[in-house]
Amino acid sequence: MKFLGYILRNARRNPVRSLLTIASISVCGFLAMILLSLFSTNNEVRATLVPYNRVITMSAQGFTQPVPIALAREIPAIDDRSGIHAIVHRESDDKPLVSPFSWYGGKFRGESATFFAQFGIDPDTLFDIYPELTIAPDQLKAFKERPDGTVIGRKLAEDKKLQVGDAFELKGEIYPFDMNLTVVGIFDGPEKRDLRTCYFNWNFLNEGLKRDFQGQGANNAGTVLMRCKSDPLVARLCVAVDEDTKSSDRATKTQTEDAFVSQFSEMIKDLQTYINMVGLAVAFSLLVICGVAMAMSMRERTSEVAVLRAIGFQKGQILFMVLAEAVLIAGIGGFIGTFGTMFLFKFWDISPYTMGFFPFFYIPTAVAVTGFLVSVVVGLLSGLVPALRAASLPVIDGLRKVV
Amino acid sequence: MAMVPLKYTMRNLSVRWPTTLLTVLVSAIVVACSCVLFGLVDGLMYSQAVSGDPLTLLVMRKGADNETSSNFSIQTAQDLATLKGIARGPELRADQDRQGFPAIQNQPLIAGELLNIPVMARSDGSRVNLTIRGVVPASPFLRPNFVIEEGRYINPGTRECMIPRSLVGRFPGTRLGQQFRVSDKEVYNVVGIFSAGSSVAESEVWTGREDLAANTNNDRSVSTVRIRAEDNTALESLTDSITGDTRFGLLPKRENVYYQSQNTTAVFLTVIGTVIAVLLTIGALFAAANTMFAAVKSRTREIGTMRALGFSRTAILLSFLLEAVVITAIGGALGALISLLFSNWSFGISDFSSFSERMIQLRFGALPLAVALGMTLAMGIFGGLFPAIRAVRLDVVKALREL
Repeated sequence: MKFLGYILRNARRNPVRSLLTIASISVCGFLAMILLSLFSTNNEVRATLVPYNRVITMSAQGFTQPVPIALAREIPAIDDRSGIHAIVHRESDDKPLVSPFSWYGGKFRGESATFFAQFGIDPDTLFDIYPELTIAPDQLKAFKERPDGTVIGRKLAEDKKLQVGDAFELKGEIYPFDMNLTVVGIFDGPEKRDLRTCYFNWNFLNEGLKRDFQGQGANNAGTVLMRCKSDPLVARLCVAVDEDTKSSDRATKTQTEDAFVSQFSEMIKDLQTYINMVGLAVAFSLLVICGVAMAMSMRERTSEVAVLRAIGFQKGQILFMVLAEAVLIAGIGGFIGTFGTMFLFKFWDISPYTMGFFPFFYIPTAVAVTGFLVSVVVGLLSGLVPALRAASLPVIDGLRKVV
Repeated sequence: MAMVPLKYTMRNLSVRWPTTLLTVLVSAIVVACSCVLFGLVDGLMYSQAVSGDPLTLLVMRKGADNETSSNFSIQTAQDLATLKGIARGPELRADQDRQGFPAIQNQPLIAGELLNIPVMARSDGSRVNLTIRGVVPASPFLRPNFVIEEGRYINPGTRECMIPRSLVGRFPGTRLGQQFRVSDKEVYNVVGIFSAGSSVAESEVWTGREDLAANTNNDRSVSTVRIRAEDNTALESLTDSITGDTRFGLLPKRENVYYQSQNTTAVFLTVIGTVIAVLLTIGALFAAANTMFAAVKSRTREIGTMRALGFSRTAILLSFLLEAVVITAIGGALGALISLLFSNWSFGISDFSSFSERMIQLRFGALPLAVALGMTLAMGIFGGLFPAIRAVRLDVVKALREL
């Protein structure tokens, strides 16, 4: 510790070089944080979904094929009939917590591309299925009563400057029916939930399709969402539902919400491989960058190191001082690059610029900590060669050497 | 104006070869990382471009914006075949005849195809939606350069399928002679391995339409119809008659226009690629600047001497800039070569329009080369500029006195 002053002075001796090295590490750290978070965020969010025991039934033919609405009634019947009793029933009226969950995919108010999600759901059960989403009781009541009502997430309301009572027009892309909705409520929720979603009454869409378009695209639930009691029952329910529909022409795939969400990152698995490769390449480049900077510093200090040795400093002490300097510089750069980036995205919400790919974006703490540790290790490794060279140079040669 | 001899610049690089080499290494890694991703974007755009034939009409249900969400009755598809101006099928080549291609000589080149996109587990267990296309005799003739590489063409109605080269081994049961199992009810014998000129078809498993229809209980509809027009005039009149007939409710698009509109994935990858390339360039630029600052510092006396000999400030500035550009250019060239190692990499990326597996062959055309060149110049010029400015601002007398 008594050498701290000397180490700090050394690090500041060539300020331009140290600053450039720190800047280089910070920028690379920034990049690595963004890239690694693309997937880690997804994993963290998935972990927070597990305790809610929600289950989603989709078509075995993939997301693009809807399941019929009849299934939303049949699934609770299957659950009862098979004696599994996995689905939670509401205490007040014994209603099973099941809802259609239908992707509308429309465009908002003449936008050429709309990047927030819109789902047709059952207003009566949605907020019981999603207890982590909060909404004022009078707004929820209005949502349940008003057929053309919609509730939107807080961030969506902020983005579009919408308030309760505002008109909310959606133009259909998948469906021929355009919806003129009215915002009746704004919901809030934890940080790791999509607060840029719009939920509307599934019946409103379905009635419109039946009334104006001879029922084209009507009576489909998209997917069916339900809330279950506990884990072992969930697994049994998934099997029971899929077994029941297997021999029909509308085979289903039933899975936990967590497994459902994970499909999206599994799909782009090769991209994940590439990003991990870039991460490794960045770490290796930093190793070289820091190593070169440190080697240059030590070369300029050859005679000084020899003097230190001559006045009695041990090899080990020299080694320690050089390594400490390398770790210090890499650590500062790493700290700025990792925790700085985490802090930045806490206050700067970039989601509106991501074309809907990331309704919320943050750097998970685990990713930042890992990144910081990597930078420290990089500093240590990069200092190794220059440190060993400095420590093992014969004193006489060092004193004689003119740099 | 006397320029500093090129030899001087080159000699300097070799004198301090360890730092030069390491800086070259960093720029090589950085360029390689970006080149691979832009090679992917290039491959994707190439694949979209070759998939779209300007004389082929892709007919979809009105309102469907991609093949996946389209479907209409098989009767309508058959009515389309009676339209005038449809090109006729070619004579089979000897090898095609031997491989069991369907004979469609003088038959209209029109293909009503059925799509099914089940969720499938890859060989490593991760899940993705895979496109299975039920094809008709005209289908291979409506694709660019459709070739059977191994085995033979399918016999429709006998539960056989063909696998594109890029999917072989990626999913269980996709090798020649194996059984490709979609579900318990839906099993196909793999009889052929095909390629199709890098087009979108290379991401699809092909089986007979009647086989797919029987397996998915969907024998009344098709997803899309492709029609090859005789010439441009015929194409326009076909478009008019299909659009004009309101009974159809169909919208024909030129195939090339359709594939240009399916660019969400390309945009997504370009954005990620740009972020990576820009940040890595900045990171490496700082490293290059470090190397050059050290070069300037260790040559202070030389610079003074050159100034005293009469070399102008501009000449010295250019000499140092050139040195930096040469370092990064060697690195850039090396990086581009490294990225070529990945040219056989078949990359799976989910198509964000259909949410299905899309195989892309990396392609190193103009785009990745332009990226490599741009990064190289940016690193060299911006990395070398400030050290070079410092070099020319040295006071001649002081510089000469420097040890």
